[in-house]
Amino acid sequence: MNLLDIRNLSIEFVHNEQNILAVDKVSLSMKEGEVRGLVGESGSGKSLLAQALVGVLDDKWHVHADRFHWRGIDLLRLSIEERKVLLSRDIAMIFQEPMACLDPTTVIGEQLTEAIDSGQLSGFFWQRKQQRQAAAIKLLHKVGIKNHTVCLTSYPHQLTEALCQRVMIAIALAGRPILLIADEPTAAMENTNQEQIFRLLASLNQLKNMSILLISHDLENITHWTNTITVMYSGQFVEAGTTAQIFNKPLHPYTRALVDSSPSANLHLPAKSRLKTLPGSIPILQHLPIGCRLGPRCPRAQQACVKAPLVTNFHGHKVSCHFPLIPVKSPPKKIIKGVC
Amino acid sequence: MFVFTLRRLSLFIFTMLLLTLLSFSVNFLFPGEAIINLTGAINATPSQLVELNNAYQTHRNIFWQYLAYLSHIINGDLGLSMASQSDISAEIVNLLPATIELSLVALFIAMLIGIPLGFIAAIKHNKITDNLILSISMLGYSIPVFWLGLLAILTFSISLGWFPSAGQISLLFEIEPVTGIQFIDILLSDSPYKWQAFSDASTHIILPACVIAVTPATIFIRLARTSMIEVLDTSYIRAASAKGLTFQQIIFRHAIRNSLIKIIRHVGLQFANLVTIAMVTEVIFSWPGIGRWLIESIYQRDYTAIQSGLLVLSCFIFVVHILTDFIYAALNPLARGNKYGAR
Repeated sequence: MNLLDIRNLSIEFVHNEQNILAVDKVSLSMKEGEVRGLVGESGSGKSLLAQALVGVLDDKWHVHADRFHWRGIDLLRLSIEERKVLLSRDIAMIFQEPMACLDPTTVIGEQLTEAIDSGQLSGFFWQRKQQRQAAAIKLLHKVGIKNHTVCLTSYPHQLTEALCQRVMIAIALAGRPILLIADEPTAAMENTNQEQIFRLLASLNQLKNMSILLISHDLENITHWTNTITVMYSGQFVEAGTTAQIFNKPLHPYTRALVDSSPSANLHLPAKSRLKTLPGSIPILQHLPIGCRLGPRCPRAQQACVKAPLVTNFHGHKVSCHFPLIPVKSPPKKIIKGVC
Repeated sequence: MFVFTLRRLSLFIFTMLLLTLLSFSVNFLFPGEAIINLTGAINATPSQLVELNNAYQTHRNIFWQYLAYLSHIINGDLGLSMASQSDISAEIVNLLPATIELSLVALFIAMLIGIPLGFIAAIKHNKITDNLILSISMLGYSIPVFWLGLLAILTFSISLGWFPSAGQISLLFEIEPVTGIQFIDILLSDSPYKWQAFSDASTHIILPACVIAVTPATIFIRLARTSMIEVLDTSYIRAASAKGLTFQQIIFRHAIRNSLIKIIRHVGLQFANLVTIAMVTEVIFSWPGIGRWLIESIYQRDYTAIQSGLLVLSCFIFVVHILTDFIYAALNPLARGNKYGAR
């Protein structure tokens, strides 16, 4: 049974009588214990999709979906309150910019303890406070913060960005989630810290069988940690498959461009030649192209691309393109699969 | 926190120096002789005048004159009133507490009404409640205070007879002035009619304080609304709701404190506005405060009283301003503590 099954989710922005389809019919499914990467350029609607999943979008965004199943429960049949209760119990999210996501006027300890819901605590109400404190310290140890007393009594601005992200993960773990959505957890962080955060997430996945949806704009960075990857472009679904499929034989021209664009050490390029990139940039929301939104930038675009392509499935490797790349015999590049 | 206090203190000292410079220079701009304007001694004999000229060092240059003026102020000598020939500092000590009492009560009422209403408007953003509160605040802001005061007297004291129309307390009660602030004096006194006096003083203060509070309250509504809307839009509120907190928990635990921080800075600024309104209201309600006294001395061209009254009032406003800065620092850890890596 799929943990999460979303079919044709659209997010619409209603502004001045003009509707902008920021996310256009994206499908996403996750299995239990899976680490799925969600990749796309900045502005491709990854964060929006994640926030829609948790239900923290503003009123100005309208979300529609054909199917939204969570562990076999049809969420579309539930009322908004029931859905919110269910999702906030089972799904936790860590955001970009951890510093901005912690209340600047409240100490870390208070923010962490309030995330622990009282159902987990046993004992009478006068013991609750101590138990919460103990649980908070345990959570901090779990995310690798040893100096818990200092951390619990400090304000967010007194900690580093990486420590704040660990605190955010601790807060997310407080609810004992089944799915953790990590929205660019390592943006603006040094390499060593990035590595530590990813390793922490991987260990959580292995030890607790927690599923993780890892959102990133950097395909190469997350391939070591994910089982499967979904690629998005400008709010549209591009391609989904296992990490090896996506990386070794991408079917969509966009994924191909993403893979090619990341330079590596053993890349043989003549001196002063151009690096491989797609021309142009991601369209802004006010001027989205019709049909396949990659159309204007796509090297393989043809007349048929003015209509949005349907999703085709090649042995579990889903792609949304009229002219998918036919798998070549020798893959252009191989990656060394790390621990995941 | 110590550095913060030192910084505020130095700001206070320099602002006071500038204010005294202003009030000193004003003496030369008023018609008449500067030394007479400065001391208010209009009936002085030639020998007294020589003495005063000596005391204020008029034969030396302007810098020494200013220093002499400063030393007089620091010693509490503000000169004599030109109109009544009484000691101004003694009069101010009598009158200022009444103004402090009235304006602080008004500020309290304004905050108590304005800030929660603004929060409610922000939570119900773009709904009927929000529009209703905004239009009421616009209405309150545009009513002139002298007209509102007269209207309030007409309805609440003459037609309905709920509140007295003038004065600070009924003349029947004899309260020994200790601190000058009426409510504290009543509580300190050992009169058998202490509680009757207390309730009488409260009925006297309600009407003028409410009239003063109307305009600042409307400003607080707008400030509270915008700051709450801003706070509700931040990522930490979104993160808190993703944490599974209910809307009420988010508001009471995170949103209110953060938006109060943004408001409290403006409270100090609005206080100057409030004191101006209080001066007009004191005239209407015959409140025995410094505002009424100042306006009367303006009518009587009592220059000595005007310059020392302005000095004292602005000093009071500035003290309140600094106090709000301290409350701001107490609420906001970013203002008082060090940032990571700042040491």
